[in-house]
Amino acid sequence: MNNTIVLGVIGADCHAVGNKILDHAFSKAGFNVVNIGVLSSQEEFIDAAVETDAKAILVSSLYGHGEIDCKGLKDKCIEAGLENVILYAGGNLVVGKQDFEKVEKRFKDMGFDRVYAPGTSPAESISDLKDDLNFNIGTMAV
Amino acid sequence: MNLRNKRLNDDLFYKIREDVLTHWSTGKDVDLKEAMDYMSKVPDEKNFSVQLKKAKDSGITLVQPRAGVALVDEHIELLNYLQDEGGADLLPSTIDSYTRQNRYNECQTGIDESIKENRSLLNGFPVVNHGVYNCRKVLENVKRPVQARHGTPDARLLTEIIHAGGWTSNEGGGISYNIPYAKSVSLEKTLYDWQYCDRLAGIYEENGIKINREPFGPLTGTLVPPSISNAVAIIEGLLAAEQGVKNLTLGYGQCGSLLQDIAAIKALTNQAEEYFEKYDYDVELTTVFHQWMGGFPEDESKAFSVISWGSVAASFAGATKVIVKTPHEALGIPTKEANVQGIKATKQIINLTKYQSIPLFSELDQEIEMIKRETKCIIDKVFEVGMGDLAQGVVKAFEMGILDIPFAPSKFNHGKILPARDNYGAVRYLDFGNIPADKEVKDYHKKLLEERGVFEKRDVSFDMVIDDIFAVSKGILIGRPE
Repeated sequence: MNNTIVLGVIGADCHAVGNKILDHAFSKAGFNVVNIGVLSSQEEFIDAAVETDAKAILVSSLYGHGEIDCKGLKDKCIEAGLENVILYAGGNLVVGKQDFEKVEKRFKDMGFDRVYAPGTSPAESISDLKDDLNFNIGTMAV
Repeated sequence: MNLRNKRLNDDLFYKIREDVLTHWSTGKDVDLKEAMDYMSKVPDEKNFSVQLKKAKDSGITLVQPRAGVALVDEHIELLNYLQDEGGADLLPSTIDSYTRQNRYNECQTGIDESIKENRSLLNGFPVVNHGVYNCRKVLENVKRPVQARHGTPDARLLTEIIHAGGWTSNEGGGISYNIPYAKSVSLEKTLYDWQYCDRLAGIYEENGIKINREPFGPLTGTLVPPSISNAVAIIEGLLAAEQGVKNLTLGYGQCGSLLQDIAAIKALTNQAEEYFEKYDYDVELTTVFHQWMGGFPEDESKAFSVISWGSVAASFAGATKVIVKTPHEALGIPTKEANVQGIKATKQIINLTKYQSIPLFSELDQEIEMIKRETKCIIDKVFEVGMGDLAQGVVKAFEMGILDIPFAPSKFNHGKILPARDNYGAVRYLDFGNIPADKEVKDYHKKLLEERGVFEKRDVSFDMVIDDIFAVSKGILIGRPE
């Protein structure tokens, strides 16, 4: 079964630590992680997803510009034929301490399937992604 | 580009400069002669070097926040609030991430959207877009010295603009603003570009204007063993001094073990002085201690404890200044109120501990000597592989993993070193990768980690590293198994 996902940090953001941990955690959970790393553009996410036939794109942003950087990503996915690819965003997505429900709505309106608040454990998004992709946990390496 | 640790000559510098000033339209407002004139009129209370020297001489630890927003008037308002309400001794201007990547068009989008939405959509002050006159407007509307704090691999135009704008300090360096801040920029390029920034500071110095330079000490801010950050700080200090920099602040990011943190700053000061003397550089040296740079607890009371613990270490280590975190750290960029809370909590500790000191006792002395020994081993090897040239040595040392920074994004970083805490909370080497160390040093680290393994009834492994990375945000220091 194809369980490839694209992981990366979008925009001009160079926060690398969480990215390395997510890579480790999703790999350990049985996903084939294509990690494009920090400082990645929307185009790089899409190219990686097209090339590897990925089932999901996981976008991280830690530095507050996530709102500007993620605008239009869903449209570009659709243009590239990736309309069924699951789209997640997580991290410190906006500038300052804002009500997370509003942030979540803003990102869902932008076309993201799930949005994660700061401090979310990788286990939570791993479990969600398995649900969203209808992966039987029994078939996955743990 | 012929990278050598030699002072850039005037012909080359001014040739590069002609091009640098065309990188964005605001470059045309930089006139070096007029800038010198402006700088010579900046009063002492707004000069970084003067204020740091004063603090060093009187044994005081100054307090500096991080802060920056998209628009000029809002930025001035923010700095004044930190100065008047918080009592910040030194002011920052944290630069936004698009500027750090030289994406000035995207900065403009951020500025426009911020005006439209009436809130800052940028994570800092886009200083290149705002230009020289707005830097001066900022300086003229505050009472303390202003420093640019960023993370810019190519900061040449930024440096031209801030100094012409009266800001008397610049953070960064060819290693510390590359390896933790970039993915694919070569070290040859950033070392060369930072020689330019240092040379510009040197030219101001030669014209009687004091400019402070601060290599970025904490690097990735994640379990960096003190000997790695001290080696990089001393190397960047030597590279800057060669370009004519006279006033240097070397930095270190809190690890969390009080003993190790005090030892690291003492080792850094002592060893940097030794190297400056050895290579015959006349440098006024001060230090900066960064409060915990890793993940923070979300709970604000817990965050205040982390802030205070860093303040205790900064004060007892005798750092010249401390960079302050805020109770909003876990969630991103703080409000100005949260920023002031961090400053106040820090100042309270600094004031409480002002006349106290910890005498040198044998365990502290041993920790200092160990850090110095490890640091010297790294720096010596860098000189060796560079055949005596420090700049060449840095490039080769990163290729070979002699210099290796944990969890860094750069593809030019080896990425083999793994750190973990020992059973008492100090950061040790779990895996040295190719970082040079003698057998006794390696055995020492191994023994300390095995002691933790026995205590936790598990093998010494990568799981410890991951647990340690999350520990502080979960309210503990050592990542014990659950």
